[in-house]
Amino acid sequence: MINTKTAFMALWCTLTCIVIFGCFVLKNQVHDLESELSKINQNIASDIRNIHILKAEWGVLNSPERLRKLAAEHISLNKIKAEQIINYSALPFENESSQIKIVANNKTDLKQLAKAER
Amino acid sequence: MYSRSFDDKPLFEETENTVAVQTCKKRMVFAVVTFLAAYFVIGLKVFAVCLPHGVKINLPQNYIFQEQSIQSPIARADILDRHGSILATSLPTVNLYANPKKIQNAEDAAEKLSFIFPELSFKDIYQKLTKPNCSFAMIKHDLSPSQQAEVNALGIPALEFQTSEKRVYLQNNLFAHVVGYTDIDNIGKTGIEKSMHKRLTESSKPLQLTLDIGIQDAIREELAAALKKYQAARAAAILMDVNTGEVLSLVSLPDFNPNISIPVGDSSLFNFITLGKYEPGSVFKTFNTALGLESGKVKITDKFDATKPIIVQKRKITDFHGENRWLSVGEILTHSSNIGSVRIAERVGKEGQRQFLKNLGFFDSVKDFELPEKTAPRFQSEKNWSAITVATVSYGHGISVTPLHIITAFSALVNGGIYHTPTIIKSDTPKISRRVLSEHTSEQMRPLLRDVVLYGSGKKADVKGYEVGGKTGTANKTLNGKYLKNTVTNSFLATFPISNPKYALLVIIDEPQGIKETFGIRASGWNAAPTSGKIIAAIAPQLGLQANFDIKTQKAHIKASR
Repeated sequence: MINTKTAFMALWCTLTCIVIFGCFVLKNQVHDLESELSKINQNIASDIRNIHILKAEWGVLNSPERLRKLAAEHISLNKIKAEQIINYSALPFENESSQIKIVANNKTDLKQLAKAER
Repeated sequence: MYSRSFDDKPLFEETENTVAVQTCKKRMVFAVVTFLAAYFVIGLKVFAVCLPHGVKINLPQNYIFQEQSIQSPIARADILDRHGSILATSLPTVNLYANPKKIQNAEDAAEKLSFIFPELSFKDIYQKLTKPNCSFAMIKHDLSPSQQAEVNALGIPALEFQTSEKRVYLQNNLFAHVVGYTDIDNIGKTGIEKSMHKRLTESSKPLQLTLDIGIQDAIREELAAALKKYQAARAAAILMDVNTGEVLSLVSLPDFNPNISIPVGDSSLFNFITLGKYEPGSVFKTFNTALGLESGKVKITDKFDATKPIIVQKRKITDFHGENRWLSVGEILTHSSNIGSVRIAERVGKEGQRQFLKNLGFFDSVKDFELPEKTAPRFQSEKNWSAITVATVSYGHGISVTPLHIITAFSALVNGGIYHTPTIIKSDTPKISRRVLSEHTSEQMRPLLRDVVLYGSGKKADVKGYEVGGKTGTANKTLNGKYLKNTVTNSFLATFPISNPKYALLVIIDEPQGIKETFGIRASGWNAAPTSGKIIAAIAPQLGLQANFDIKTQKAHIKASR
């Protein structure tokens, strides 16, 4: 009878210890994860803020007023004129039996066209 | 026998107890085993969870993990254009405040602070730091990071920082009248910042407008050039998508930089498009012609007597450039004949005219438009709407409306007859629309508007390839109830491409001067029309409109350039 009781007690204590240890490990892991999550969240919030500032800077750099100044300073491109946008069929190519064949002197034509558009 | 029977009783009782004890033991064992089993299972489970890979939890396939939302560090939402470019945003900053109760040497602190912030005087800071019975005194808003570091280096415990936001308008003046601005406490004071204050503060999702930054810039540039060239007091323009009512551009000059505080009442704060109530003049003839055609009382082939001035209630109505002959409906518009317009209005009558204008929204404020700065039109009451009102309204006098009213009604006139509520907020849900005109009338109006640009007063607005149709308007301004001779407000109302109208543009030049290039002429055809032409030439390629050239002409052009 005593042996049975002792065995039960031992089992009981062992199980309790296991549960306590298990709970401790679990709590510890959760705690670590929580602090890790909090750090990640802080980093994300900081990144969001930085991205937000960078977007604002990008917006300033892309403002039409600035781009116009830069374009005038560094590249000799003007605004597109209506006559520069032409119909495909107005191009000096010829349509032949469902296949578009470029006429023999296409290189010269293209050069001329480019010249005309300038 | 007696003693035996006496001895028997406890024996009987002992037997009964033994049974009870045994039952109890059995129950105990059952309870203990059950609890042990439960603990064992729980223990195992806990142990398994503690193992490196844990226990695989079988979740249903459609289980959605609740996304952990990270609150945006910026409280007020951004305002974007239709393509996502930022127009207004908030940047994190810090404010500096002091706790006067904790201050030890106010004089020394004030001196040091006035050195860091030269714009603040020593006296002001000292007064704030020595305020009696006060634990909060704001010293300075929106510190730069270097200023914050300098204040920190002072090591004064009474000085503290407060995280804050500063509203920044990246495009400076470009969207001043649309976006508006906020005060120092980030409360919207004008424009979208005011009308959408709740939306901007409740949700961090950016607010997208229908305006286009490229188009807005192109229009503002042309308009600013026109303002300078014609030495005008004001200039304004609005571009609308006629099929949706979306405003793509809204410019009113002079404008202001919302990043800099503007004194209340400054004239640059005035948005002419939504607040500028004015007599539109001849552009109103467009609506008068449509009124005649829509009523069924006027046919496109009808001709009207414009041989001599017309007298209505003792007032003589003449033409500016009198043709002095009978004019067709189209010619009345092309030559901008006041007499012809009066004849059309008279044929339709007061009731028809009033009803038509009411349908086009000329009698009400544009309520659903999202800008808070709006005004109601000014017109005669039904009782006072006399024969002379019928006559003058036909050519745009005796009624004052805003450019927003005109462009919205004009869009309906050319798009097939549907009135779309104007909007500047991009939304997937369409706004309220209603039919105000028959498709037939709208189709009849288009070639008439094209003729004005081809042969009439709007010639200078023509842009090859984009089939511009429109109408000029030159209206004398009034002062103390009298018309001024040389002070005019000019308008040009345009749509393009006329074969399938997509956009409507209204350009207004207020008080232009006659210059050498215009031979001293102030009329709309010499300033508002060419400005509209320049604007259309600049924006049409940006809008993705293909120029409609005749192929033969194009080929000839290419051949000629060889």
